Amino acid sequence: MAWLLGLTAVILAPLFIGEYLTSILLLIAILSIMGIGLNLIYGYTGQLSIAQSAFLGIGAYAFGLIAVRLHLGFWPSFFAATIISGVFGFLIGIPALKLRGPYFVLVTLGFAAIVGVIILAWVDLTGGANGMGGMPRPSPIPLPWGGQLRFDSLLSIYYFILFFLVLIASISHRVVHSLVGKTFTAISQDENLAESLGINAFSKKLLSFTISAMFTGVAGALYASYNAVISPDLAYFTRSMDTLAYLIVGGVGTMAGPLVGTFVLMAIPEALQVVPYLKTLINGIILLLFIIFLPKGIVGGFKTFVSRQGKPGKPERGEDGGP
Amino acid sequence: MNVPNFAQGHLYMVAAFLGFYMVMSYAMNYWLALVLATFALGFVGFIVYFVVFYPIRNAPEVNLFVASMALLMILEGGALCFFGTETKWFLIPWARGVLSLGGVCLQVQRLIVIAGTLVVITALQLFIKKTSIGAALEATAQHREGALLCGIKVSRVSAIAFVVGTALAGIAGVLIGPAVLLMPTMGMGPLLVAFSAIIFGGLGSIGGAVVGALLLGLVESLASGYFSAIYSLIFVFGIMIVTLLLRPRGLFGREVWRP
Repeated sequence: MAWLLGLTAVILAPLFIGEYLTSILLLIAILSIMGIGLNLIYGYTGQLSIAQSAFLGIGAYAFGLIAVRLHLGFWPSFFAATIISGVFGFLIGIPALKLRGPYFVLVTLGFAAIVGVIILAWVDLTGGANGMGGMPRPSPIPLPWGGQLRFDSLLSIYYFILFFLVLIASISHRVVHSLVGKTFTAISQDENLAESLGINAFSKKLLSFTISAMFTGVAGALYASYNAVISPDLAYFTRSMDTLAYLIVGGVGTMAGPLVGTFVLMAIPEALQVVPYLKTLINGIILLLFIIFLPKGIVGGFKTFVSRQGKPGKPERGEDGGP
Repeated sequence: MNVPNFAQGHLYMVAAFLGFYMVMSYAMNYWLALVLATFALGFVGFIVYFVVFYPIRNAPEVNLFVASMALLMILEGGALCFFGTETKWFLIPWARGVLSLGGVCLQVQRLIVIAGTLVVITALQLFIKKTSIGAALEATAQHREGALLCGIKVSRVSAIAFVVGTALAGIAGVLIGPAVLLMPTMGMGPLLVAFSAIIFGGLGSIGGAVVGALLLGLVESLASGYFSAIYSLIFVFGIMIVTLLLRPRGLFGREVWRP
């Protein structure tokens, strides 16, 4: 029910708010897709990955390179970017997921840092700090009753991205509630126990990681198409940490978490009109406060609050927070 | 405590900047700045431990990682805000000097770094092996519950370990300051190399960390020479991955990660 309301609100919003706010909502949508990706590998499979920024950059630059250098259209580039992000996810997942705990986090952090550096430094391929331009919008789609659906306007690209947000959220929902998704949850709660039940934890973790990389790659390609210009700061590792902040504030391991968190943490700086540099600082402070006092995030805390309404007396025993 | 502090690199960056301001803006003696920065960072570590890590020490492990990452974000964002984005030159009277030893030119500051490192490492090794606090540290690292059973106040020991760690970052920051450009983002590279070094050298062994760091430093310099400074990071990272896959204990490590 709440979903339907939210969806309606988001669809109707551009009619009431101006262009600037619509573009902000659009960015929120793209970053939410990234958040959903992180939610899959961290929230539902329990592995904290900092590599998201790398896949965002890879998705964006793969899209850019294929579209601009190879002069292929939007859709081939888009699909290629998604597949390429997935491939990178798969490749880096193989060594990384053999490790547990802090080592996994470390390797993903290293990967993210290095991809960020490579994108910045490999000037011949990526244009370095100057970025790359000329990203195409989606090609016009012919309509059955004549005419075309063009994507040049802000409104059209907004709905296009919204479509993908809904699509990816739905895919994520289906995955999480499927048998495979339940395997992920089992792994996140106790990997050894899951393995003793016959679950191949490594292959499941790899699957989750690859899907998450693909989602993030989609976000990157969408951003490239919307913004027409991309620069290496897309892949700077603090972006992964920003996404983590959005996810934890929103609520890890919940479907609405990434959306709520991204919205809140992006809306506040906009409302306060702060300098970009402060963003990392503010996100860090908010993340710290949440992880200490409200680790389940807004949605998680809300659910706990609601579930306690019917039970007077002691609060539930159990974990303090986490996925 | 068994939690890698991802913010360590940024703490070292803060120390470098602190030292810079103390010497350049307040015309303080360099050595005095070094000592002060060490204490300042140790103090910062103390506060961070009790404000951030102690309250959530019983939470799932991931929360502690997230907390240290939040710390990293705060430090980097704060540094960008307060220190500005231009790079800074940390100049002291002898910083530009070069000694010539048998045909090889060495920057004076780097010699100071080497000497300082030797002193610190020896002091640390003595601390761990010869004092009772050091023994308590080792005991806690090896087996937390066992140490508790022996009457060791584990939380106090963890706090000490953390504070010593940040103080060391302080020393490192001020030592390296005059030798490199100061940027708010300078913490990340050394952090990755440091993690690679201790994984390669082996957890729980200071000698291992030193050997690891030396070897990796060599790799980084050679790679910088033959390829470029940026790609050298990839070598370092690659070594870390290979080590983790083939021999997680590292060269001299004592403990394997217990999932």
